[in-house]
Amino acid sequence: MDSSALNSADLQRFIEQEKQKAMVNEMVAKLTDVCWDKCITGTPGSKFSSGETTCLTYCAQRYMDMSMMIMKRFQSMQ
Amino acid sequence: MDSFSSPSSGSSTSQPSPEVFMDQLKTQLAQAYAEEFLETVRGKCFTKCVTKPGSSLSGGESSCVSRCVDRYIEATGIISRALFSSPR
Repeated sequence: MDSSALNSADLQRFIEQEKQKAMVNEMVAKLTDVCWDKCITGTPGSKFSSGETTCLTYCAQRYMDMSMMIMKRFQSMQ
Repeated sequence: MDSFSSPSSGSSTSQPSPEVFMDQLKTQLAQAYAEEFLETVRGKCFTKCVTKPGSSLSGGESSCVSRCVDRYIEATGIISRALFSSPR
């Protein structure tokens, strides 16, 4: 079958970009899921408390730190 | 890279043009993302707000759900900013 149109460089770049975007979306969704459970313990109010906002921010950043740490840990085992 | 080679709604054998294909892919990705997001929000807000299901959603439960949805969207923004636009 003729797939020359689908192999154009533009299209490859487009797919690469969309993949990247999907990964970012996935990560934000996952972290929101996890950090919501950790930080929002009461019933949701009409506004986040500053404690909740800070907790969400730290939660996301520490998760990334941790995941980096775990990656390094595994790399050092090989 | 031929896993994208069958157009979902195209007629017979013709390939969609790259532009059409890109648009379709974008739309489908956005739909998939929205569905996943909705499903997550449903789960979270049901857990938070409907703790003892009664014969109908009470006023309190409904307003809890509204706030919960708003906060979950806000939380998504906070997480996104924490990862990508705040100084580490």
